[in-house]
Amino acid sequence: MSALEIKHLFGLRGVSKHDIRMILDNAKQFREILERPVKKVPSLRGMTVVNLFFENSTRTRTSFELAEKRLSADTVNFTSSNSSVKKGETLVDTLRNIEAMKIDIVVVRHKGTGVPKFLADNSNAIIVNAGDGAHEHPTQALLDMLTIEEKLGTLEGKNVTIVGDIRHSRVARSNLWGMTTMGAHVTLCGPSTLVPRNTELMDKVTWESDVKKAVKDADAIIALRLQKERMDDALLPSMREYRNTFGITHELLECAKDKVLIMHPGPINRGVELDSEIADGENSVILNQVTNGVAVRMAVLFLLAGGRANA
Amino acid sequence: MRNVVLNNVRPFVDGKFGEPTKMCLVDGAWADSAPAETDEFDAKGALAIPALFGLGLDFKEPLRDDIYTFRDGVSAMRRGGFFGGLYESSANPIDDSQKLTAMQQLSAKSGMEFAFLGAFSMGYQCKDLAEMVELAQGGAVGFGDGNKDCSRSRFLRLAMEYGSMTGKRFFFMPLDDSLRHHGLVHEGCYADTLGMKGIPRIAETIAAFRILEMARFLKVPVHFKQVSCGDTLKLIETARAQGVDVTCDVDVYHLLLDDSCLFDLDSHCNVPMPFRSAEDREALWQGLESGIVNAISMNHDPVLRQDKEVNFEDAVPGAVSLEIALGAIWKPLCTRLSAARAVELLSTAPAQLAGACPSAIAKGGRANLVLLDPDRPTKVVPTLFAGQTRNTPLLGKEIPSSIVASYIGGVWTEV
Repeated sequence: MSALEIKHLFGLRGVSKHDIRMILDNAKQFREILERPVKKVPSLRGMTVVNLFFENSTRTRTSFELAEKRLSADTVNFTSSNSSVKKGETLVDTLRNIEAMKIDIVVVRHKGTGVPKFLADNSNAIIVNAGDGAHEHPTQALLDMLTIEEKLGTLEGKNVTIVGDIRHSRVARSNLWGMTTMGAHVTLCGPSTLVPRNTELMDKVTWESDVKKAVKDADAIIALRLQKERMDDALLPSMREYRNTFGITHELLECAKDKVLIMHPGPINRGVELDSEIADGENSVILNQVTNGVAVRMAVLFLLAGGRANA
Repeated sequence: MRNVVLNNVRPFVDGKFGEPTKMCLVDGAWADSAPAETDEFDAKGALAIPALFGLGLDFKEPLRDDIYTFRDGVSAMRRGGFFGGLYESSANPIDDSQKLTAMQQLSAKSGMEFAFLGAFSMGYQCKDLAEMVELAQGGAVGFGDGNKDCSRSRFLRLAMEYGSMTGKRFFFMPLDDSLRHHGLVHEGCYADTLGMKGIPRIAETIAAFRILEMARFLKVPVHFKQVSCGDTLKLIETARAQGVDVTCDVDVYHLLLDDSCLFDLDSHCNVPMPFRSAEDREALWQGLESGIVNAISMNHDPVLRQDKEVNFEDAVPGAVSLEIALGAIWKPLCTRLSAARAVELLSTAPAQLAGACPSAIAKGGRANLVLLDPDRPTKVVPTLFAGQTRNTPLLGKEIPSSIVASYIGGVWTEV
C-alpha cells in the first residue's frame, strides 16, 4: 500500500479517494485492535503528539488522546485556558515554542478558519485539524464514513442526509466533501437562516428545505447539534419550533426508510435536534461513531506519521 | 532640490506619451537646459507619468507611531511616485483644529502636498459633533468617518446638516455594521465554502442608499470610499442622474483581486472593505470605463508584521499600497482604458477630489513625475517597502511593471 498523498490533515476538501480509502481501511484494522484485551500497539512509540486545543472540547480531545496512547505515542495536552496564550503570546510563537521541544505531530482545534494550514506553513510538525471554526472537522467526517461503511458495507451510492445548522457546521462541510468523494449522495437540510446562501462551490450535494423530502430516501441521517447561541442571535425563534420543524422525531422517521441509520456528532441536545427515543433507539449508531472516532484518529496519526510500523 | 537630466524618457504630455526624449529637471521644473555637470540618467524608454495623488492615507502618527511614522509614509510616497495624498487616520481622528494644525505642521516638512479630512464627530464616536466650521477654516478639505459606520441616522443627519455650512464634501466608507456582524470577507461562495462569516453586499448598498438619501435631502456633497460592489455603483449612477452631488473611488486592490483569493487563507487579504466576487470586480472595471467611478484610491494602511502573521480571522485588517500600486495596476488599466484615463484616475481626479492642484508635465512648468518601465515585472519583496510594514496581499507575487524613479518637489528618488 502506498503512502498518503497528503502530508497534513487540514480538511477533506480536495483529499483524494485514494487517501480517504486508505484511512478508512486502516481504521478498520485499528477498530479490530480496539476489541482485543490489549488495545495498545507500538506504532508511534518514541513520537510526541501535542493536543493544542484553543477551544473547549471533551470528546474530540479525549478521543485523540486515547488514539495517541493506543499507538504508544507520548502525548501532551495544551489548552488555551492554562497556556501562555492567555498571557498574550501569538499563535505562531506558541507553536514555535512547542516545536522547539521536539514534537512530531500537532493536533489542533481553534475557532479560526485555516489555523491548521497556518501552523503547517510555520512549522515542520505534522498538523491534524481537530476542528477549525466552521470550516472543517475532518476526523469527525471520517468516523461518520467509517460508521456508515461498517453498517451498510459501502458509501458508494448511499444517500446521506445531514439536518440542522449547516451554515455554522464544520462537521457538515467535511462530510459533504468526504462523502461525495467516496460516491455517496449527500442531501443537506436546515432552516433558511442556518444554511449557506452561496452554494455554487458545493454543487455536488442536494440542498433541500423540506426535511420530510430530505429524509425520504436516506440510508443515514446525521442530525447536527443546535447551538443555543443561535437563538440569541435571532437565527431561530425557539428550540421548540426548531424541534417541531427540523427535529428528528418518530413522526419524521415515518417518512424515512425503516432501517435508516441515525447519527449525531455529539453532544446531543435531546428533544431538540434528536428525540431521546430516537437517540437511544435501534437505528441509532451514535455510540458506534464514538468508538470509530478512536480508530479513525489512530489511522490518521499512524498514516501521517509515515506508517513506519505495522499495527 | 536636485537637478537631473533624463535621457530616453517618454513624458506624458497633452494626454499621451511622446517619443523618447531628453528632459532637464531643474529645481523641480522641466527646464530647457540643465547646469553643466548635472547628473544624467538613462531612463531606457521609461514612461514619465505625472506623479500620483493617493486617496486614503493613514500613516498612524502620532498615536501609533510604533507602527508607522509620517517619515515612513513620505518615503513610501517617493518610492511609489506620489506627490500628495488625502490623509485620514482611523487611529488619529482630526476632530479639532489643534490636531489639524499639528498634522499640517508635520506634513509641511515633507515636501508633499497633503490634504486632510476632518472628523465630523469627536473620536469618530458619532455622539458629539466636531467643530467642523473651525476645521474647515483651518484647511480641512472635507469630513470623514474614519471608515467607521455611523449607525445613528439622526446624528448623521445633524452632522451633515451642520457641516453643510462649510460647503465641504463628506467622505464615507459605506458598510452597515449591523449587517456586517463580525464578518470579515465577502459573503459569497468562497466564504460559505470555508465557513467564514461573510459581509453581504447589502451591508454596503443599504449604507450607501441611506447616505445618498441624506445627501439628496440635505443637498450635501458626498463621496464613497472603496466602493466594492456593482450594486453600489448602480445606486450612485441613479442618484447622480437625479442631481445628487456624489463621487466615489475604488480601491486599487479591489481591481486586482476578488474573493477567490480567500482559499489561500492569506491574512494579508484581510482588508477593511472585503474583496467581492469576480462579477463585482468586473463591475468596478466597467465603472472605471463608464466614468461612474471618479478615482482609484490607495487606502495605505500599515499593519505590524506580528498582527498579520496570524490566522486570517485574527489578523488586523489593512494593506499598504503606495510603493507597488502603480506597478501593479498600470498594465491592467492600460489594457482596458486609455493612458489619459489611467492618469486621470490615479493622479488628476484624486487630487481634484481633495481640492489639490493636479500634477502635470509641461515644459517650463513644475515637474512632479514618476518613471515607470511598464514591461519590466517586479517581484513584491519586503525591501520595496518603507518602514517596518509590508502588509500587502501581493507580497511574494510578481507585478507587471516596475517603478524606476520619481522626481517630486525637486527630489530625485531612484527605486
